[in-house]
Amino acid sequence: MRWGMVIDLKRCIGCYGCQLSCKAEHGTPPGVFFARVLKHEEGTYPTVSMIFLPVLCFHCEEPPCEEVCPTGATAKSEADGVVAVDADICVGCRACMMACPYGARYFNDENRHYFPNNGATPYEQMRVQRHQEGVVMKCDFCRERTAQGKEPACVANCPTVARYFGDLDDPRSQVSHLIKERGGYTLHPELGTGPSVYYLPP
Amino acid sequence: MVVAAQAPVAAEDVWIPSACSMCYGTCSILGHRVDGVLTKIEGNPESVLGKGRLCGKGISGIMTLYDPHRLNKPLRRTNPEKGIGVDPKWEEISWDEALDIVGEKLRHVRQDDPRKLFIQRTTTNTSSRTPWQVFGWAFGTPNSWVAGGGLHCGNGAHLISGIMHASWSVVPDFQYCNYAVYFGASKGHSAGHASCSNMGMAADARARGMHMVVVDPICNFAGAKATEWVPLRVGTDAAIALGMCHTLVHELRLWDSPYLKAKTNGPYLTGPDGRYLRDAATNKPLVWDTQTKSAKPFDAVEPEQMALEGVHTVSGLECPTAFERLKAHLKPLTPEWGESISTVPAATIRRLGQEFGREARIGSTIEVQGRTLPYRPVAAIAFRGAQGHKNSVYNFLAVDLLNELVGSADMVGGCLGFNPSCHGHPETGRPHYIPYADEDGLMITGIWMAPHLPYPMHEPRMPETMSLIDLYPMTMMSPLMASSDQEEMWQRFDLPYRPEVLLNFGCNSLLSVGNAETVAKTLKRIPFIISIDLFITEFSEFADIVLPDCSYMEAHDSRPNFPFIFNLPGGMGEWCWPVKQPVVEAAGERRESSELLVELADRIGIREDLNEGYNVSMRLAAPFRLERDKRYTYREICDMELKSNFGPEHGLEWFKQHGVIKWPKKPEEVYWRHFENVRVPIYWEFLIDTWEQANALAEPRGWHIPREYYSPLPSFLPCVSHEETSEQHDLYAFYYRDAIHTNSFTMENPWLDETAQLDPFSYTAAMHSEAGRRKGLKDGDWVWIESVKGRRIRGRVHLTEAIHPEGLGIAACAGHWTEAQPIAKGKGVFINDLLEVDMEHSSPANLNLDLCVKVGVTRCDGEWS
Repeated sequence: MRWGMVIDLKRCIGCYGCQLSCKAEHGTPPGVFFARVLKHEEGTYPTVSMIFLPVLCFHCEEPPCEEVCPTGATAKSEADGVVAVDADICVGCRACMMACPYGARYFNDENRHYFPNNGATPYEQMRVQRHQEGVVMKCDFCRERTAQGKEPACVANCPTVARYFGDLDDPRSQVSHLIKERGGYTLHPELGTGPSVYYLPP
Repeated sequence: MVVAAQAPVAAEDVWIPSACSMCYGTCSILGHRVDGVLTKIEGNPESVLGKGRLCGKGISGIMTLYDPHRLNKPLRRTNPEKGIGVDPKWEEISWDEALDIVGEKLRHVRQDDPRKLFIQRTTTNTSSRTPWQVFGWAFGTPNSWVAGGGLHCGNGAHLISGIMHASWSVVPDFQYCNYAVYFGASKGHSAGHASCSNMGMAADARARGMHMVVVDPICNFAGAKATEWVPLRVGTDAAIALGMCHTLVHELRLWDSPYLKAKTNGPYLTGPDGRYLRDAATNKPLVWDTQTKSAKPFDAVEPEQMALEGVHTVSGLECPTAFERLKAHLKPLTPEWGESISTVPAATIRRLGQEFGREARIGSTIEVQGRTLPYRPVAAIAFRGAQGHKNSVYNFLAVDLLNELVGSADMVGGCLGFNPSCHGHPETGRPHYIPYADEDGLMITGIWMAPHLPYPMHEPRMPETMSLIDLYPMTMMSPLMASSDQEEMWQRFDLPYRPEVLLNFGCNSLLSVGNAETVAKTLKRIPFIISIDLFITEFSEFADIVLPDCSYMEAHDSRPNFPFIFNLPGGMGEWCWPVKQPVVEAAGERRESSELLVELADRIGIREDLNEGYNVSMRLAAPFRLERDKRYTYREICDMELKSNFGPEHGLEWFKQHGVIKWPKKPEEVYWRHFENVRVPIYWEFLIDTWEQANALAEPRGWHIPREYYSPLPSFLPCVSHEETSEQHDLYAFYYRDAIHTNSFTMENPWLDETAQLDPFSYTAAMHSEAGRRKGLKDGDWVWIESVKGRRIRGRVHLTEAIHPEGLGIAACAGHWTEAQPIAKGKGVFINDLLEVDMEHSSPANLNLDLCVKVGVTRCDGEWS
């Protein structure tokens, strides 16, 4: 199987619910957003359109990050297609960050806190400090949640139900169906990375 | 490499149902508590409020709960000097000492004159409404407001939604609507009432193919999701809506005659003075009976027999129907006229009118749960943007006329009020409220947010309130609580007292109302200020005592989203009543403000009045009414309310376990207008008397109330900004509500602040690219933004094609300067500092403060660049 995501740009309203539910789920440090929302403007006045584009790690079929990793810390799971970093093996060389064309990776030099002069809040003590320092971090399609049968945090939380999660290898899955019916596309297909995250047109 | 410690197995791991308060939307949440620490907030999937999904603000409540800058102890000012940027030199005191001081002050002022107490509370914490209103009534002061959060909200929107839809706001019937026109509204696309529920419902509607036209100077939020974005000159919404009405009535001759005859005052006959013709015996308004060809009381003629159009001769007088007057009024208000005011091409206005009329499918019906109902799948809605102006009332009313003409008001697919009719839980029949008619047949709302009903309007009278709401009965919120000319107006109208104590709950009026200088002057006039808050704010610089409040994660409430006219999503589905409960123990010495008010009431000696206030406000039924002289905690009062509504087995403990109670809505409730025999005014006849009475009080005191604001039919009236002629001041600055911030409160939340910093709009002033080029500006340049009155603010400019060329769009309401909120300090653009707060910039109809201002923009060189 191959986990994948479909994001319906017609439904997304740019509320940042995904960006922040991801942050809350993973307790990522300041400056780190495994899920983000970009705002992009097209056209000229008055025929202009504003696109809200949620992005995250695309868990590519041919991940450039995996290819360049010298230690094997970054690997694509053969079981479910998730690209993840094994923090115990990562040496923090950051070659993967250079290789990722989508800017989906972050280097955690040290665990910082959101109130820099006040130390970690009780929440941060429990959530942020579990991240290893000196390693690269990224989205893992919420492995802990999917192991419990839950959807990734960004999917479960989206108020507009713009995100769908499922098995791309299963032609009967909702994600496969949406991609087929609605003309799902990936970002920068010309790079040949084969993203597992698809978009439905606005 | 540092290896993370293996997390020990948690001794406690629970999900606790409660209610969000990061904005006034009160979506239902689950707080995940692990070993006493809040580790995640998720939506509660059991609840209709948000349906298990939350916006970015709701998710981020963790960082507000654990903000180390939160207040933990009562504070007393030691520096008697007050002013912007002046350190109050706080000293910590005990609660006993604080309560002695506060209790003594309040007792003293109440003995002297209870009206000298001025209460202000935040809109953000919806749950605070009932305890604070009840405390104010029990104390005996009519002086309260919800400061800038309220003043900048829906003065016109709530008034007119109340009069026309028996609700606080309006929304398209997302499940059935095919064509929605949004005028300065973001329902379902950003924040606000029932925000996360509406986001899902609006997305469903768009996915289903609902055509969405967004009339707005900026293409962000709703505009971004529109099928068609129609940019307009700021504050001219009425000109477009009236042009569309002209097209319907005069070019297409298209209206819903049966609806207008049965559900509006359209057929009422009017005399030469514009007032209704009334029956000599019963005083009831007369209509023209087409069968007997005579005038009869409106309730003596079947609606289909009434004449909707025409001028009829009664007792020798030529008497047009109200609808005939509307037709004549609309005659010159052509799309071409609309273009001359709004800049929107006449062809566009005309086409929108045609599409609206065609899509309304007048005459069609649909079956909903076995009921055959009128099917009108079009809605015209407005909110803050359209009515946040001096012409507030007419901008909103003109938009709503579109719904009335095609009969889509509260019909299937049309423009719905939020839940104006509720028949109650099937087991108890409670809560129960239904709109009903007054003697003129016009609708009175079944429930409201305040004792001051939108209709019927009280007769204007000499002011006893600081707000002058007595003189201006269309007012929901008045700028006079903090205006530069308040003293002048109070003297003019002989206000017999001045405020002596201000009791503040969570408001930061220095940022939220208007220019800080004016607000600061009004606060300095008040001898003693008590502030209950989560943080030290800019407002605290004027407070004498500051008391630490519990946040929503540490507090109880039995009715976080009641009344349902405020926050439950409209349309078919389920009724849903959640509660709020502490997810974690309160840190420091924080106390729940609702419990504190009970304690203060006891100290002041108003316990009996407080208990009676709760009986009335919560409509408590025996045996769950409060005894007059018994001391209750607020928790016990919450328990009584829940049992009163849902039976003795459904008290606070049951709700704390189960989170929500739900039951299905019926078509008779959601589409109540078809079933209830009430009418709404398309012709506001009562304004003729209201103006005459108000002006009769005002003129002898040298104060003129312009009559054009009190015509029974809406026109376009210009804002102050539309009449400025200075060439250097060439842009209309306006503010809008950002999706990622709530008023000034959330700017201290570091997750939201970080997100806003990454957003191209949140902390910048959006200017059309061409205007930027003309001024030699590049995207990201620092600029000075200066009003005609010489007020000046600084900010970064964002050049964009997604804004009207005359507009300057700024998200509210930034501008923090206090060191006590280091995350918020210095962020964003303080647009409110440009706003004049005075009668000149307020509506002579409903005192709505105008939120647009004509500005010049120049590059910031030198010290700031």
